[in-house]
Amino acid sequence: MRHRRSRWTAIAAAVTALTLTATACGADEPADSGGPVTLTMSAWSMKTTPEFAKLAEAFQAQHPDVKVEFKEYDATNYDTQLTADLAAGSAPDLYVLKNLKNFITYQAGDQLLDVSDVAGGLGDKVNGLGNYKVDGTTYAVPYRQDSWYLYYNKDLFAAAGVTPPDKTWTWAEYEQAVAALTTGLKTAGSPAKAAYQHVWQSTVQGLALAQTSGADLVSGDYGYLAPYYRRALQQQEAGAQVDYGTATTNTLQYQAQFGTQQAATMLMGSWYVATLIAQQKKGDAQSFQWGFAPAPQADAATKDNPVTFGDPTGLGVNAAIDEGKVAAAKKFLTFVAGEGGATALASIGITPATLTDPVTKAYFGVQGVPTDELSRFSFTTHDTRAENPVSPHTAALQNILQETHSAIMSKSTPVDEALSQAGNRARTEVLESR
Amino acid sequence: MSTTTVGGPRGPGPRSTDPRGSGSRDPGSRGTGANRTKRWYKARRSLQGVSFVLPNFLGFGLLTLGPVVALFYISFTNWNVFGTAKWVGLDNFTRLLKDASFHTALLNTLYYSAFHIPLTLALSLGLALLLNRKLRGVAFFRTAAFFPYVTSIVAIAIAWNLLFSRDAGPINQILGLFGVDDPPGWTASSDWAMPAVIVVGVWREMGYYMLLFLAGLQTVPPELHEAARIDGAGAWQRFRNVTLPCLRPTTFFVTVMLTIGSFKVFDLILVMTNGGPGQSTLVLSQYIYQKGLVENRFGYASAISVVLFALCMAVTVVQFAINRRRNA
Repeated sequence: MRHRRSRWTAIAAAVTALTLTATACGADEPADSGGPVTLTMSAWSMKTTPEFAKLAEAFQAQHPDVKVEFKEYDATNYDTQLTADLAAGSAPDLYVLKNLKNFITYQAGDQLLDVSDVAGGLGDKVNGLGNYKVDGTTYAVPYRQDSWYLYYNKDLFAAAGVTPPDKTWTWAEYEQAVAALTTGLKTAGSPAKAAYQHVWQSTVQGLALAQTSGADLVSGDYGYLAPYYRRALQQQEAGAQVDYGTATTNTLQYQAQFGTQQAATMLMGSWYVATLIAQQKKGDAQSFQWGFAPAPQADAATKDNPVTFGDPTGLGVNAAIDEGKVAAAKKFLTFVAGEGGATALASIGITPATLTDPVTKAYFGVQGVPTDELSRFSFTTHDTRAENPVSPHTAALQNILQETHSAIMSKSTPVDEALSQAGNRARTEVLESR
Repeated sequence: MSTTTVGGPRGPGPRSTDPRGSGSRDPGSRGTGANRTKRWYKARRSLQGVSFVLPNFLGFGLLTLGPVVALFYISFTNWNVFGTAKWVGLDNFTRLLKDASFHTALLNTLYYSAFHIPLTLALSLGLALLLNRKLRGVAFFRTAAFFPYVTSIVAIAIAWNLLFSRDAGPINQILGLFGVDDPPGWTASSDWAMPAVIVVGVWREMGYYMLLFLAGLQTVPPELHEAARIDGAGAWQRFRNVTLPCLRPTTFFVTVMLTIGSFKVFDLILVMTNGGPGQSTLVLSQYIYQKGLVENRFGYASAISVVLFALCMAVTVVQFAINRRRNA
């Protein structure tokens, strides 16, 4: 018996020793507050996402005493991997809030440092900043604020003999134009459709939530989605756009649909500007004249400041950051959300959160960005509402609405029935059950 | 399952582990040089054994056993990754009883399993019987049947989704040739999405189980077939009365693995339909993923995992009991 016990003691000691050795390797050295500071920051797909390196490079040019190093995560599993790192205490000093949906998890879990002082010094030119404010405290700052535009192919509009969009388009005018494009393109012998609507729920629900007065995601009342779904289904029926079933079963790529002139118009986020330019340069997309207009509006009342939607991408400071690094981290946050970071981002075709004249100049200086007046107006003038308003229920409600989207668009369930079911589920499974 | 004890109580002399020990015969000889050497020899042998098992057991303990034990605890809490987990007793389980989406996911999982298990079993056995003959190019056909199992699931999903396309897909075109005017929408239809997923699931896995059946068929003594043939048994009678009984251990193993695999189906559905349209192909594993990794409700997700675990366990225990009775 004694013999057996000593054997187990030996094994336990060996395992403990191994564990201690392993954990010792991961221990952080305390930062030296007097000397140069190295900040670590989360990132993903750095080869194809140049924004992280660009921000660090521009910041370091102004602050040579601070070095920014990156910890790269998988783009698809970013939040899962980051959550695991935060829980294990091995997450970087600064981390990107890739979407607004998960911000509340980090904030409510006490994983973000109070950066209200940084936010207070940023001024009023930073779009999307208010999304990161909870009970009067700001926990992150946005550095990019994408919003949705109506992309249009100028050549296909000309071929169909239809007047291109202007900055005052309402949904009624959009519907007329789509109908005219459908017949016009057919007459011109073009195989292109009038529009392409991607399979994401955002393509219908994002604008419905942003543009409908009184619409509230966490109310559990989804009647506001009905007119937007009826329009989408009607355009499918009329053959103005590829139907949902075809788009899902054929795994259609929106970049290919618009980039190879399969569709004359497409609602998509502002990130697609840089993608399309790069694809045209590489030959992955065809060469044609294009531009972007504001998303069609519910009525003319918002024509001077068109309402659209999009979530900001923010940067927060890990609550577990070393005390000696906090000042440098806040300096970096001030830079990325301010004009300096915004100009650096705009110079590579990214829509930053801060929009000022120098930023706009940098953006339209990028080769390939359409420089017409309408595209400039769309970039500079818009009221971008959040797609995922910050709430502890948002992630669960968006799940329900995602299922509702596929049920409606595949014509499995009629619009009103599906929306009423979504409301019931929202109440019983999310709003009243927690 | 049986275990083999090397050097067990009835083992050869030097390995004997008589519970009384050699010292019990002569207490006075304890601690003598010969006995110390013997004990050292035994200890060294045990350590050698442990050292072989340890790497695997450490991995299993850290990555499987630990998380599974933790899962049971977490299922009684409201843990959401950060902060402390608050004990909520049976709250998560009582909420499951009222959760309509959980009921849908459970029913869909049973629907998938009810068709996937018998179809895969029958087709893989059929394939194995077909490819157990001396045919020209049999190796090629065996490889072809096994190929789907080693193909990337994402590639499979894209290819099959194309085949299932309502308007331009070859499957509906073939159905059109047979006079089907209103072919199903398959993965884009809430009624037909599950049958489509089952077809792909069966197609993907039958090659793997065929391989197991092929291995099982090699153990069927040819003289039994020979004797049955002499007695005038036909092909069907020989299959029923010779092949099937001899294959019983393999069939049992395949059924258990297939059942557990079907209850846990996840990747195929995630990449083919993502649970849609609506909730028509939402299964338990995907619901766990949604609640845990998407909504960060790990307590609730763990409770669903416990239910799935209990379901797999219950069915497996029943299968073992039936198998034991048949073997008795």
